[in-house]
Amino acid sequence: MTVTKITVDPLTRVEGHLKFETRIENGVVVSARTSGMLFRGIEKALIGYDPRTALQLTQRVCGVCPYAHAEAAALALEDAMGIRPNPNGQLLRNLIVGAYQVQDCLFHFYQLSALDFIDVTAVLEYRGADPGLTTMRDWVRNEVRSQRIFPAAPFLPRYKADFLKDKECNLSVVHNYLESFTVMASLHKMVTLFGGKSPHPVAIEAGGVTTRPIIGNLAQYRTLLNQVERFVHSCYREDILAVCRAFPAYFKEGRGYGNFLSFPYFPDASGNNHFFAGGATIEGKHTPLDLNAITEDHTYSYYKNKPGSGIKPLGVNRLEPLDWQEFQREEQRPGGKYSWSRAPRYRGKVMETGAAARVVNTYHSGRNPALNQLVDRLNRDLGISLKGYNSVMGRHLSRYITVSLLLSRLKEQVEQVQPGVLGFSDKNVPRGVRGIGITEASRGALGHWVEIDKQGLIKNYEMVMPTTWNMGPRDSTGQPGAVEKMLIGTRIVDPANPMELARIVRSADPCVACSVH
Amino acid sequence: MYQVVIAAGAAPLLSFDELLAADANPAGTGWSRPNLVWLQGASCSGCSTSFLNIEQITILDFLTYFTRLIYHPNLSSATGNQVPQILHKLAASNKPYIMVMEGAIPVKMPHACMMADRPISEWVSLLAAKASVCIAAGTCAASGGVAKMAGTLTGAESLDDFLKQRGIKTPSVNLPACPMHPEHMVYTLLHFIKSKSLPELDGARRPRQFFSHSVHDRCPRYAAFQARDFARCIGEEGCLLELGCQGPVTYNDCIAIGYSGNTNNCVRAGHPCIGCAGELFPRPLLYHSHDDPRPVTGVILKKS
Repeated sequence: MTVTKITVDPLTRVEGHLKFETRIENGVVVSARTSGMLFRGIEKALIGYDPRTALQLTQRVCGVCPYAHAEAAALALEDAMGIRPNPNGQLLRNLIVGAYQVQDCLFHFYQLSALDFIDVTAVLEYRGADPGLTTMRDWVRNEVRSQRIFPAAPFLPRYKADFLKDKECNLSVVHNYLESFTVMASLHKMVTLFGGKSPHPVAIEAGGVTTRPIIGNLAQYRTLLNQVERFVHSCYREDILAVCRAFPAYFKEGRGYGNFLSFPYFPDASGNNHFFAGGATIEGKHTPLDLNAITEDHTYSYYKNKPGSGIKPLGVNRLEPLDWQEFQREEQRPGGKYSWSRAPRYRGKVMETGAAARVVNTYHSGRNPALNQLVDRLNRDLGISLKGYNSVMGRHLSRYITVSLLLSRLKEQVEQVQPGVLGFSDKNVPRGVRGIGITEASRGALGHWVEIDKQGLIKNYEMVMPTTWNMGPRDSTGQPGAVEKMLIGTRIVDPANPMELARIVRSADPCVACSVH
Repeated sequence: MYQVVIAAGAAPLLSFDELLAADANPAGTGWSRPNLVWLQGASCSGCSTSFLNIEQITILDFLTYFTRLIYHPNLSSATGNQVPQILHKLAASNKPYIMVMEGAIPVKMPHACMMADRPISEWVSLLAAKASVCIAAGTCAASGGVAKMAGTLTGAESLDDFLKQRGIKTPSVNLPACPMHPEHMVYTLLHFIKSKSLPELDGARRPRQFFSHSVHDRCPRYAAFQARDFARCIGEEGCLLELGCQGPVTYNDCIAIGYSGNTNNCVRAGHPCIGCAGELFPRPLLYHSHDDPRPVTGVILKKS
């Protein structure tokens, strides 16, 4: 029996500082450890700050999905205040987070993931006249001929792998990789129109959105939405389907526990009737969401506190991080702590969050016929079933499903906004109360818990992040985390080029800055 | 005319358009694209995603014409052990390069940010020492930002403080704002590429071009401030000062150039400035209700 260890540190093209280690026996992964390697401690630093600052500062936890933190923090404070935004406030908030979610999904597919599947060097064969592709071709040609130490960086070097063979398809994805920068900038403009800026839209506050909608900014939003829609329905759709068809085996790779958690997302103007359903699917059975079932465990996390499990949100005032010596000792110790991330559990179970969880739970809930129709159609076209969503390609496909459905909703909701009517109502920060805000980041279920003291300052703050669910370490019972489980059982062709593993981890769209915060 | 000024060695304030149009090297035949390495410390990748919003040049031009992007954590194909190999090779190559630092650098807890089995502080030391210039992208790198907010434990430091502490003499430029303005980064890079010099900097090593005016100076509501017409709640027309606006103590040109190609900015979005480009960002109280007594009575005095 041959035993090897593969360590990938850092995994690039994800947010943040991610490391993972696998043990391979006879070419198959038998155990895996995923580690988040950045700790800032923002959550507990918020203690003593004004609760409204959390709306701005928790966005800085993540520059890729700040909108979701703004929304969750606003919902938590509104819950504590006992208020809800008026219809315009809710709609504008949706327009901001919806456009940002679409941007985030495109970013994940083109910039973060596509290079794992397509062959950039296919541009060398390009014979057409597209300015982007010809520039790329001439540049790659000159670079690889040159004696430079890093030819064609940042596209090379890369892992050797079974890239897409189809020339046209490769060229299409490279073309759209370049095109997507403009489309993402347009989506950031849509966010900025009502959010003030992007990343870190400032205008989402407890009580609504501070930007006053007028005909001008609504029309501009609608125009940009048209451009985005064209790209998504032609380019993104074609590319994702082409990659799905070219890598059918990846509907079986990266299979996790199959337990899916998602939170209700994208309400109508009243703040209810969410477009995507919350809930938990455990062993194929869909159950309504129970926030009391959420606990955290830090047995394998770099904190001094005694191994703890079953801790409810807001249950710990502060975990004390390890110092440098203790950190070194844990690194050396077999079976030592190995991540800054904690390990959230739902009724003690490891849950996967993200686009696949959102799609599977909404499908089971049956509350969104448009989603069920789209899923059924795609399943028929691709010859897969709902079980296939628990896979690398299932996760990519689910992001497309989210984006496609969100665009239709954004189109409806931008028409519902009443021009000239401020979508914001003010209220003083309450004293001595708690609040909970839940939503979906593009990476999945996100919850903020806030506790406010007698002076109206933050007494405690807790964020449970989608990537913490996915990338968290083992817990006190030894259950591997969600992505760790996805890696186990994977066959590795070439341990020096473990592209299979990189594809699996990236399919979960890890955001490490979020997961540890 | 401005080319003559460059030749004379003075530091002219070139507009972005002038800089884009400027010949790279009037005497020669273009420039050699500088190597660029982009590191992320205690960051959120927000400055990187903000950078992708640039409109004056395309990302394709940035990658293939203006610079050689040797390494970027979110864009590079290279992964795993290829990354430390690239960084070591670059540091040992004796070739000039620009280092961009996004995020703060945890010093008290070096293990709070690890890459390839080494603290990020070691990577920064290694690469900054041999760089031609270091650019601090965003508030976290320029002054610590949220990574250094009161109550954090990691001892996060700005790039300048870190370089000083390690005795590294490489010149640096600070581009605060949360997120960084992509225009600031591209302007600074082009200035360095085309005129082989940094734009004129102020005492905090920020380009004067962008950071000479406070947000308040150029605020569209400045007339309301002069008339002492203060908004009492969001949605009113007046000056936002009494709702917590940090405009008077924040130096940035966001009012002039806005975000996402001047689509909007915070004040135009009806929100008080949160001071994201300020050295003391984030302050413990940002937007607050008009009748909130705390800003006056000073309940908020949080110290780390």
